Amino acid sequence: MSDRSKLIATGKPFKFDKKRDTEFEQLVKRYPSRESMVLPALWLVQEQESWVCQEAIGYIADRIGTFASKVYEVATFYSMFNLHPVGKYHICVCRTLSCWLRGKQDIVNYFRDELNLTPGKATEDKKFSLEEVECLGHCGSAPVLQINGEFYENMDVDKVKKLLATFK
Amino acid sequence: MTEMIKLFVNGEEVEVESGKNLIDALEKVGIEIPHFCYHPALGADGNCRMCLVGIEDGRPPVVPACKTLAKEGMKVLLDADNIKKIQHDVMELEFINHPTDCPICDQAGECKLQDYYMKYEGTESRMWVPQVTKRKMQDFGGGVIHDQERCVACGRCVRFLRQITRTGELGLVNRGDDCRVEFFPGRPINNRYGLNVVDLCPVGALTSADFRFKQRAWFLKRAESICHGCSKGCNIMVDHNKEKYEDDIIYRLRPRQNEQVNGWFMCDEGRMTYKLENDNRLEECTLAGAVRPLADIFADAERRIERATKVLFLVSPSASLEQLAAVQALAEKTGATVSAFSDGYIVKDDGDDFLIKDDKAANRAGVDLLGIAKSRTHFDNMAKEADVFINFGNDLSRSLSEEQIGRLFSDTWVLNGATHPGQLGAVMEKKVGSSIALRSWSEYHGVVVNCDGIAQKFVGGVMKNVERPDIVEMAAGLGSPATGTAAAWALVQKKIPALAEFGGFLELPAEGVKLTDNEAGK
Repeated sequence: MSDRSKLIATGKPFKFDKKRDTEFEQLVKRYPSRESMVLPALWLVQEQESWVCQEAIGYIADRIGTFASKVYEVATFYSMFNLHPVGKYHICVCRTLSCWLRGKQDIVNYFRDELNLTPGKATEDKKFSLEEVECLGHCGSAPVLQINGEFYENMDVDKVKKLLATFK
Repeated sequence: MTEMIKLFVNGEEVEVESGKNLIDALEKVGIEIPHFCYHPALGADGNCRMCLVGIEDGRPPVVPACKTLAKEGMKVLLDADNIKKIQHDVMELEFINHPTDCPICDQAGECKLQDYYMKYEGTESRMWVPQVTKRKMQDFGGGVIHDQERCVACGRCVRFLRQITRTGELGLVNRGDDCRVEFFPGRPINNRYGLNVVDLCPVGALTSADFRFKQRAWFLKRAESICHGCSKGCNIMVDHNKEKYEDDIIYRLRPRQNEQVNGWFMCDEGRMTYKLENDNRLEECTLAGAVRPLADIFADAERRIERATKVLFLVSPSASLEQLAAVQALAEKTGATVSAFSDGYIVKDDGDDFLIKDDKAANRAGVDLLGIAKSRTHFDNMAKEADVFINFGNDLSRSLSEEQIGRLFSDTWVLNGATHPGQLGAVMEKKVGSSIALRSWSEYHGVVVNCDGIAQKFVGGVMKNVERPDIVEMAAGLGSPATGTAAAWALVQKKIPALAEFGGFLELPAEGVKLTDNEAGK
């Protein structure tokens, strides 16, 4: 794990758009306590903006009526929440045991050498961004990538090369 | 009386109070179970794993003592090899990223990590990978400074701010070895009890900006006192020290546990009242503007009291019961009137429902118990008639403006006994006949009654270089029959029968004595 505690402030106030606003209000009814809304609300933010900024965490906390520090805890705990702007294609490389043993490092090195892309960063054209994440739950077909929510299994450098070509 | 139960610790039978968890129950009989995250005021959290103990009744091999209720016949294992290994390994884990900077750490001497290292670990570090570095000297707001590297992530501070103050400024962010305590950007600690997290922190991660680097913990002398900042009467520890060639100075006030009054905590304002005890104190006794020995001033004042037609004494609502009784006895002897007028000590809407009270006087309930008048009209009428006015440490400038005081005592001879300059207003102080520099509450012993009618003793441990009389001595010097604190205490006991069973004030129980309103003059 890396230090995710430094949040990025956009300087602009955050607000749910109309669609997320109604979705939020519907989800609230689903749970017995408003505090349960922390995770769903963070997902809504990420859906809307593709990443979670400092203002959004404050907004969620005030909207739910809980402490900002609580939402901050949750957002920094789960690596699924992007706490910095991501590229058009956000690539998550699993770094947990099976994937590590089956060569995830080759893939990470490939990104570094070919695209000058290191974990936690995005390419200059903001097309790709990379993150090393904890177990994605597909250990049987390691190593796995998750790109914008889609799984790509049994990966190696060649397959990654071909895959990236389709995104161009 | 709480029910007692018997259980076995390492095969030996011990008797403990029922209804408590193992840590609290065994602590009372002197058996320590090490722990970081558990605190009686915050409840069990079970995250530090330091308090794991074995229980021989078919439970899982080890259980956290903080979450285990002491039960009759329970067989607790503390010295088994697996328990010792757990304690050793947990300590080793805590030290992986600990900077071990004790020589420059303020907590050194009162640090759980230090104590437990000596007791439960004591081995050299086996780590060869670089330590995770984190932020140092981070301002958490509210006078709290955070060192992330020293933190053991017990979460006491986080739980205090969520459960007790309900402000929730802090959170444990990240996970694994990057876990750290942080506030959400732009929302630092901002409440009136924030500094309690410094006391709660078992290690040196949270330190007080005010106390940092002022004094090592082991040089401090401790005196068990009562906070005089408001009428709540929080139990405190006065940490003071007299360095060579220097004056005895208070470095900090810390809360002391008393379930009946303040629990484990005190407010930040109360904590800072020690500055008043150190700074800007009156040192000299004067007669007609010139510094004179105390005996001369007493002799002069005594003559004036005898010749006067009407004498008014003003006492402070923060004075101890003994002091009030001594002044009362002097008034009875000389035919003077006593007032405890102190409307200005009450700050409207300042209090809350936790510890802070509107009334900033420590012993107003005691004033009432002894039947001392304190109304404005009574004081005004008496002041107009009086030709001798003696102030016993009341800060009148809180209640009346300079002009009002000047008008009241324009042709009155005034003896001002005070701890700080300006208590009668700057103008008036130039006109006083004589003045006496008094001791303050950290320098004398006594008993005060708090807003809930609980009489509590306090001990003054500070010994200033400049000898000053306290109010009992001042009253005695002016001819009071109560010639010392013991005699004054006997007078208090006559007026408040509930206190009669205690020989000296030191025999009062530590948790205080609950008095009822109609106790006086029974």
